[in-house]
Amino acid sequence: MPDAATLYGLLGIVLAGLGAHAAIVQRDSIRRLLAINVMGVGVFLVLIATAYFGPNQDPDPIPHALVLTGIVVAVAATALALALLRAFERSDDE
Amino acid sequence: MNESMSLTIILPLLGALLAAAWPRRGVFIGITAVLLSGLAVGWLWFSLLADGPSHQALGGWDPGLGIRLQVDALSILMLSMTALVALAVSVYASHYFTRRSQAERFWPLWLLMIAALNGLFLAGDLFNLYVTLELLSLSAVALTALGGKRAGIAAALRYLMIGLLGSMGYLAGVALLYSAFGTLDMQQVAAQTGDDPVSQAALIVMTAGLLLKSALFPLHFWLPPAHSNAPAPVSAGLSALVVKAGFYLVLRLWTEVFPDTLSTQGVTLVAVLGGGAILWGSWQALQAERLKLLAAYSTVAQLGYLFVALALFMSAPPGVARELLFGALVLMALTHAFAKSSLFLAIGVIQHRAGHDRIAELDGTAQRLPATTFAIALAGVALIGLPPSGAFLGKWRLLYSAISLDQWLLVVVIGIGSLLAAAYVFRVLGHAFGRSALSVQAIHSVHEEWPALLLALTATLLLGFGSAWIWPFLEHMA
Amino acid sequence: MKAGALLYLDLIMVILMLVLAIGALHARSLRHAVILFIVFGLVVALAWARLRAPDIALAEAAIGSGLAGALLLAALRDRRPGDDATRRAPVWQSVAVGGLVTALVVLLAWAFLEVQGGRANEPLANIVQATLHESGVSNPVTAVLLNFRAYDTLLELTVLLAALLGVMSLGPQRSPMRAAEPMAAGLIGWLIPLLILAGGYLLWVGAHAPGGAFQAGALLAAAAVLAHLGGRREFQLPGHTRLRLLAVAGCAVFTLVGVSTLLGSGVLLQLPSDWAGGLILLIELFATASIATALFLVYLGGHPPSWNSREVHPDA
Repeated sequence: MPDAATLYGLLGIVLAGLGAHAAIVQRDSIRRLLAINVMGVGVFLVLIATAYFGPNQDPDPIPHALVLTGIVVAVAATALALALLRAFERSDDE
Repeated sequence: MNESMSLTIILPLLGALLAAAWPRRGVFIGITAVLLSGLAVGWLWFSLLADGPSHQALGGWDPGLGIRLQVDALSILMLSMTALVALAVSVYASHYFTRRSQAERFWPLWLLMIAALNGLFLAGDLFNLYVTLELLSLSAVALTALGGKRAGIAAALRYLMIGLLGSMGYLAGVALLYSAFGTLDMQQVAAQTGDDPVSQAALIVMTAGLLLKSALFPLHFWLPPAHSNAPAPVSAGLSALVVKAGFYLVLRLWTEVFPDTLSTQGVTLVAVLGGGAILWGSWQALQAERLKLLAAYSTVAQLGYLFVALALFMSAPPGVARELLFGALVLMALTHAFAKSSLFLAIGVIQHRAGHDRIAELDGTAQRLPATTFAIALAGVALIGLPPSGAFLGKWRLLYSAISLDQWLLVVVIGIGSLLAAAYVFRVLGHAFGRSALSVQAIHSVHEEWPALLLALTATLLLGFGSAWIWPFLEHMA
Repeated sequence: MKAGALLYLDLIMVILMLVLAIGALHARSLRHAVILFIVFGLVVALAWARLRAPDIALAEAAIGSGLAGALLLAALRDRRPGDDATRRAPVWQSVAVGGLVTALVVLLAWAFLEVQGGRANEPLANIVQATLHESGVSNPVTAVLLNFRAYDTLLELTVLLAALLGVMSLGPQRSPMRAAEPMAAGLIGWLIPLLILAGGYLLWVGAHAPGGAFQAGALLAAAAVLAHLGGRREFQLPGHTRLRLLAVAGCAVFTLVGVSTLLGSGVLLQLPSDWAGGLILLIELFATASIATALFLVYLGGHPPSWNSREVHPDA
């Protein structure tokens, strides 16, 4: 029987793969952005699964800190990408 | 004294914060911060020469728990390259932007980019490298879009997406390594990697992500639009410095973190892709109708040389030939940085004065802009790899090693690449020296023409005649 | 028995996340894709809580799903209806990429399963626990973020600043705002003080319990967004320069702490252990303000509409 860390870690790897595939295959910028974010969640899941040692033991805080950093970096990049997209679409009208 | 290591990162960062808070003084803050961080690099030289390669545990925590910065010969050479190119480009940029609002936006982002580069060359922690890479890529993307033109914005968007995809690949490898080895410190990870599935899987996804970010053929498609649509100083920074970041990391990972993991097939694949980059990039540069596009494709080709050299280095048996190759590789990277930044700045001057950069309509440039044309010619010498440029020494060693390793196909590829490079450089010069007088305004602004000329002189003369010390230096300070 | 029940719960979560992710990636309508992505984020937040990562659950709900979702929805609304969002690579490419990615996934999964045999990273977790008393805080995640790996966090704040500067340099955007309806406006009036209180609370407890600057900053940003959405007159935005300074302040205070440690001890960000708690709170206080400002400004597209009328920006 797989433990939770293994289960969620594998899920993370599969999500990262699904995200990577969609990021390459999709052509629309918003869809690509969604894909990259899903990929990020996948990688973060691997890290957090690694930090999990069961319900009765304290988790490893280092991956938790890394993922917090990763989430902020991801949202910053997403915001910049969406602003670029809007600026691009606006330049259409001019 | 190890303060200088942190200072090379903190000083441009402080400058960026000041420039963001006080945009009106952007030029003054920007130039001062670039100068000061250059001085910090100088200080770091002193301590490196006195004490040898060293590292510093930030926060005072043991590496593993905390983050480590480290300096050796390779990183100080990359830092010096960044400092000098950034200084010349900054002087040029101080007079480049005609609209104040654009200048005000340029400086904080430009300084953040320099801080990120310096941080990257000093980093000794795999996750910290991820954050540094993202800082580099976000500031570079924002700079690319600075011109506000539709093509530039589109190129910046694509650049960002590719960068994010690449760094996610890198981060996936880091996550796997942490789960297996329980540390992010590069040296501690290096002590545990080997021929096992974890090391191999991590190496593959990290390298793939970084190759995407460093635009190795055929993953280069995003680079020419981004580099050719950015404002001239930005193009110079991107093409000379930012592309080196990905290459530098691949080099570090291959040689230091995964020395026992890398397979011959992997090395061969990168050599083949590098060869493809040389041929395809040079050919596209020859076809280009605009100077900036030519310069951008030339970067694709030059990255090919770097990766070919890296692959040869990895497959060479230990010994003198291998040491020679390493120096050659570093010298080619340095020469390209100076030559390419010079070329982009010179193109910027032409574009400013002539209002366009169409190669076919450049006739007469040489009469009106002699210094700029001279800079292009000198940079061209370095890009082709003619003596006395630093690239000549580098390529010579590269050819020598390829021959001694019986890699005849590579010899042919390098030969064809050099011929193509000569063709595209002389095509530009042929037009520039053409007789028909172009309505180019003559210029007298020192700030505009000199940075390009000095950069080109560094690439061709300084790195050609004055670079013999690089080999022993790299050997003793590794 | 209990473990078995938990496993069923885990399986349901895993399947739910997979289905939602595939929906978010491949739903025919882009709007549905974005909504599925937001729901996916909420389930992921549950998964973080399940894996005993409450700090991340909070951040994911507030930033990863909440704010990113709001940004995506705003971007979606500004799109013209004719925009073709279903374009994708030809089938052969899709299959080829699929094959390549599958190979990588199998390789990574294999390596990951190898690791699960004997995991090595407990020692580092133990070191963190053993060193925690020197860090100035008792929440280990905060200790890692603001002391052990503070340099990462400084750079992370810088990344956020770089993104904000990038967004601002793209010039004024079309307003993403649409005033809320009266009833919603009434609700918003209740929500804002709650969010501000919650933000302050999260910042304060971050030292010894889940929470901290990023979660608090995100909540404050949400309060500001809501206030703006509610169109509340009493909510006046600070001026251009002041907001700019506020956005820089977090990074600046952090950097200045770094510089003073560098001057004092010769080591960047070496916080003296007696002062560490206070310094961390100081850094977090300003970081929260900057994060809230940055996230709010980013949501407004870099330039609040009021700037154009009230203040003459160099570009206007």
